[in-house]
Amino acid sequence: MPHRGLEAEVTVMPITCEFEYHRPKELSRALELLVRGGERAAVLAGGTDLLVWMKEGLHAPTLLVDVKAIADLHRLRRQGDALFIGAAVTFSELIESTVVREQLPLLWECSRTVASVGIRNRATLVGNICSAVPSLDGAPALLAYEAKITVAGGSGGREIPVREWFLGPRKTTLRTGEVATGVLVPLPPAKSGACYVKLGRYRGEDLAQVGLGILVLPHDEYRLAFCAVAPAPARATRIEQLLSGKSLSDSLIRQAKELVSEEIRPITDIRATKEYRLHMARVMLERGLKAAVARRDGNGHSIPAYGESVI
Amino acid sequence: MNRIPISFRLNGVARSLEVEPNDTLLDVLRDRLGIKSPKCGCDRGDCGACTVLLDGKSVRSCLVLAAEVDGYDVATLEGVSEKPSELQRRLARRNSFQCGYCAPGVVMAATELLGGNPHPSREQIQIALAGNLCRCTGYTPIVDAIESLQNSAADGPTAPALPYRAPNGEESKVVGHSVERVDSWEKVTGAARFADDLEFGPGLLHACIVESPHAHARIVSIDTREAEKVSGVVKVATGKDFPFRFGLYMKDRHIFAADRVRFVGEQVAAVIACDAKTAQRAAELVRVEYEPLPAVFDPVKALQDDAPLLHKELGGYEHVQWFFPKAGSNIAHWRKIRKGDVEKGFGEADLILEDTYTVPRYAHCAIEPHAMTGLLDAAGRLTMWTASQSPYTQRNVIAQALAGLGLSHKDIRVVTPYVGGGFGGKAGVSCEIMAAALATVVKGSPVKVMWSRAQEFYNTYQRQGLTAKIKLGVKKDGSITALEHTLYWDAGAYVEYGANVVNAVGLSATGPYKIDNVKIDSVCVYTNLPPGGPYRGFGYSEFFFGLESHMTRAARKLGLDPVAFRLQNAIREGDVLAYGAHMNPNGLVEAIDKTAAAIGWGKKETPSDPAKAIGKSLVLFWKAPAMPPNAGSSAFLKFNEDASLNILISGMEIGQGLLTAMAQIASEVLTVPVSKIRVETPDTDRNPYEWQTVASHVTWGCGNAVQRAAVDAREQIFDVVERALHVDKGTLYLEDEKVKCRTRPEFALPLRDFVINGIEVEDHTYRGGPILGRGMFMPEFSSAIGDPETGQGGHPNVHYTTGAGGLVVEIDRETGKTKVLKAALAVDVGKAINPDLIHGQVTGGLLQGLATVLYEDMRFDEHGCLLNPSFADYKIPTTLDVPEKVIPLIIETAQPDGPYGARGMGEHTMIPAAAMVADAVEDAIGLRAHSMPITAEKIVLEQMKK
Repeated sequence: MPHRGLEAEVTVMPITCEFEYHRPKELSRALELLVRGGERAAVLAGGTDLLVWMKEGLHAPTLLVDVKAIADLHRLRRQGDALFIGAAVTFSELIESTVVREQLPLLWECSRTVASVGIRNRATLVGNICSAVPSLDGAPALLAYEAKITVAGGSGGREIPVREWFLGPRKTTLRTGEVATGVLVPLPPAKSGACYVKLGRYRGEDLAQVGLGILVLPHDEYRLAFCAVAPAPARATRIEQLLSGKSLSDSLIRQAKELVSEEIRPITDIRATKEYRLHMARVMLERGLKAAVARRDGNGHSIPAYGESVI
Repeated sequence: MNRIPISFRLNGVARSLEVEPNDTLLDVLRDRLGIKSPKCGCDRGDCGACTVLLDGKSVRSCLVLAAEVDGYDVATLEGVSEKPSELQRRLARRNSFQCGYCAPGVVMAATELLGGNPHPSREQIQIALAGNLCRCTGYTPIVDAIESLQNSAADGPTAPALPYRAPNGEESKVVGHSVERVDSWEKVTGAARFADDLEFGPGLLHACIVESPHAHARIVSIDTREAEKVSGVVKVATGKDFPFRFGLYMKDRHIFAADRVRFVGEQVAAVIACDAKTAQRAAELVRVEYEPLPAVFDPVKALQDDAPLLHKELGGYEHVQWFFPKAGSNIAHWRKIRKGDVEKGFGEADLILEDTYTVPRYAHCAIEPHAMTGLLDAAGRLTMWTASQSPYTQRNVIAQALAGLGLSHKDIRVVTPYVGGGFGGKAGVSCEIMAAALATVVKGSPVKVMWSRAQEFYNTYQRQGLTAKIKLGVKKDGSITALEHTLYWDAGAYVEYGANVVNAVGLSATGPYKIDNVKIDSVCVYTNLPPGGPYRGFGYSEFFFGLESHMTRAARKLGLDPVAFRLQNAIREGDVLAYGAHMNPNGLVEAIDKTAAAIGWGKKETPSDPAKAIGKSLVLFWKAPAMPPNAGSSAFLKFNEDASLNILISGMEIGQGLLTAMAQIASEVLTVPVSKIRVETPDTDRNPYEWQTVASHVTWGCGNAVQRAAVDAREQIFDVVERALHVDKGTLYLEDEKVKCRTRPEFALPLRDFVINGIEVEDHTYRGGPILGRGMFMPEFSSAIGDPETGQGGHPNVHYTTGAGGLVVEIDRETGKTKVLKAALAVDVGKAINPDLIHGQVTGGLLQGLATVLYEDMRFDEHGCLLNPSFADYKIPTTLDVPEKVIPLIIETAQPDGPYGARGMGEHTMIPAAAMVADAVEDAIGLRAHSMPITAEKIVLEQMKK
């Protein structure tokens, strides 16, 4: 374990915290356990973030509730005009899903950029948004699709629009004793296009330094959301308003790029500087918009296929 | 904690056991069930070495709790290998792996891929393996092997044969041929054992190390009482238990800090307990009080008068006689070279170009972390099981360090199995010293120290940082008149090994150029960062970034073609080196010509996309083995009843293929096929001496020893045949595992008939006995001693390996991203013992080098704390980050004293990479980088400044 500041004097490797492990088959039992564990209880889905945090000593739950045995949480199916994605559905399952690939290409594209196969086979979309690290790849797509998170709790369930979900780094509106059971993602009209653009330090697995999800609907309705450039992922509403109802032109793109600095608050850290993030957010906006529109319209001579990086 | 009963199928067999809730699947598989193929490489899901299949899906077993697999099917490489697949056969035959530590994870990930998609595209293969980090191979040989499954003809090694031609015109049958590695099958089946895989039984103790949070501080007190009270804790040790200094070239380190810490992460105490978790918890209870001291992190600042002094005792440190420390300063060693008259040379120059180049620190990132176990038995014998490039040097350094406890060389035994990548990081003695010392305080119990990935980054040798000032004088006609090269090395808190990197560069910082007037100052400076040390290239990668950048700039300023300029000044055989000795035979000019042709030098290419630019570069390199003048190698070679062979050496298989090359050399002499030869990894009680497996010298040094051992065995064979059967020894030769006779064509005596039990003669007695070859090699012409003020007079380097690297890159001006379209590297190997393995070194070494300049670097905060000690933020390349095309070019200008003319080439493939990128970037977009790395971000931000 790296030295955290100057306080830690010991390296950490094995999980040394002690906890009870439960794998209930019923959601009601999971909720009972979460109530009993209170603030020291944690929900275990893929565990690809949680176990790392436990090894690093950042998180020391006393009770782990593994929700993967709850059949309902594995559901991936249409519910009216939306797709329900259960909390135990992995990124690999999303990538393999025909509905996701054909009707939610932005989600499909961002899922492919999450870590690597061995992680995606385990990590879940809902786990990703519950971890709520600022660089999470899952958020821009859910924000653009205007998804709702379904939450169960002792006092009943609620649905939370994803734009109200993120409160800051690793902070969400989920309360103690609650569990996110899935997300409900409205399926956009057929004639739409999308592009997820992710800035990493190389082509291999990396945490996003800037992530931008773009969804272009019929009648030139644009939805854009960034991650990794603010404490929480968010829609770029000023740019959306500027673009709304207009078809793309060089001058419109130029105006949109000028608004980027008003939409995002990038920081300098080990992965990238503020300046580079800002610069790249503009480049990504231009290339992503062009790709999303080309994909929607299906014309132009060089349309990048879904999954092909535009940067 | 309540134990949890779990039942699952492991490789098809139902298993039930009880686990702790906080046990990971990896821990349980390895420690409870003896399943050793999944390896611990990072323990946080970044490297993929622990990949297993859970209900057919690949997962990181370090990120799965054992409790979670109740009811599941778990598959590991042990299960797959029960019926080996064509995938495994291809990977083995095509020599796809090197060290093999990543192999189990790669095979499992590929097995998952092929299960769902028997005909994957190349991109699908790359994506499927992108989470499995490999530091050796450059990935291409692995991806090629999997892709070859689509084509039944594409089996076997890919490099063409380059047979050796003896003076009598006969062509070699084994040397120069791309045989399958002798360790391939063990590695693709998961049978290969590494230091962490060895079992020590239930008495094994685990140590957790307490480390300094300060870069420089006085230790006021250490309170171990709370830790000692923890149930399961056996002993807490501190520096007071081992008041001994150690070091390879200079004894400037303590086993545990004595009264002062000098870098963040330095070991202060150790808690030994019955299990790793208890040791960990108790270590957190050790209270250390520090009095922080001013620290310095930059070598140039550390030379200023007001800089904090790191080693007041420097004047008293024991060191090799070719070091020149300056007591009362932070200068641990200063290598000076003075040749000709630089002032006169600069006076003759039409262009004088001066500039400064900086290189940060880098990490080796072998996927196998250091693992070391020590046992001092009741009779007083210390056995060490280590992951090491240097078992004999470890024995020597440990014997010297622990002499105060009454241990001597014969009391110490070092056993080293396969090594999961070294790159210099496992040379000498670093953390291993702790396991040796701790074993002495828990006599009778083995004690294990397993380094975490973070510790791999902050408390093993790091590649040293460098600030280099270069002044070059050139005439209009392109001739170089003078070079002044001043190198300030950020050598870290202890320089016991790193000071020799500084020394080696001081001798060779002219690069492979004939320069009459030279002034070199290579200065080893203590700083409050982790100890510097050897890393593939041993300082040459660092200084070539500046030197080769400078050569290209000088040529361009004079309107000269940079390749023509290099050809004009390239060193030739017999030219006088900076320290006065003469240059060995070499194929540098041929390397330049072939590299230039491979990358289409001089042909401007236009990118398809106007937002992008294409650039080319061609740079030179050289490197000599840096070793004591009397570094020795030795080999035993013993026959078995069926005339198969065991070769005993202590040169290490660290992935480079040493065991295979040694088998080929013995096979060539004795005509025993490579498939009948085992080459054994060392146990210092049994295998004979080898100094260390470093410096790209073992093919040459150990190869000579093995060749001599084989010739010795052959002489014994001919002797016994002559004595027993009265055939003139001078007429005998070996062919197809038989002794044959030039004058009696019908004579053919199979080796298996007599190499153990001798030859029966007329009276039914026997002649001969077990054939046992012995070979030794040590250069007898080398001397490290020259004039301290000029460096003239010695013969410190045995020879140089030379070559050239060329690059074609495409840069996206907007994003700064650099794509390597083509990378060519020509290296004069003297003689390629196995061309396929040479290609493997080029492909892997080049990628390792390219990564140091495109994205890797170690970042420290203002307190000297490493900010990126994980693969999450120290990015090493994946399958998706390889050049589009790698062109290995083998040059063979024989090394007169090498086995079949061979010389080393393992490090050299990494050395030119930084300058290749720097020059190609300038060629593409006109941006000249003065510091590494040259990231996409740096390219964009520097362009914005313009």
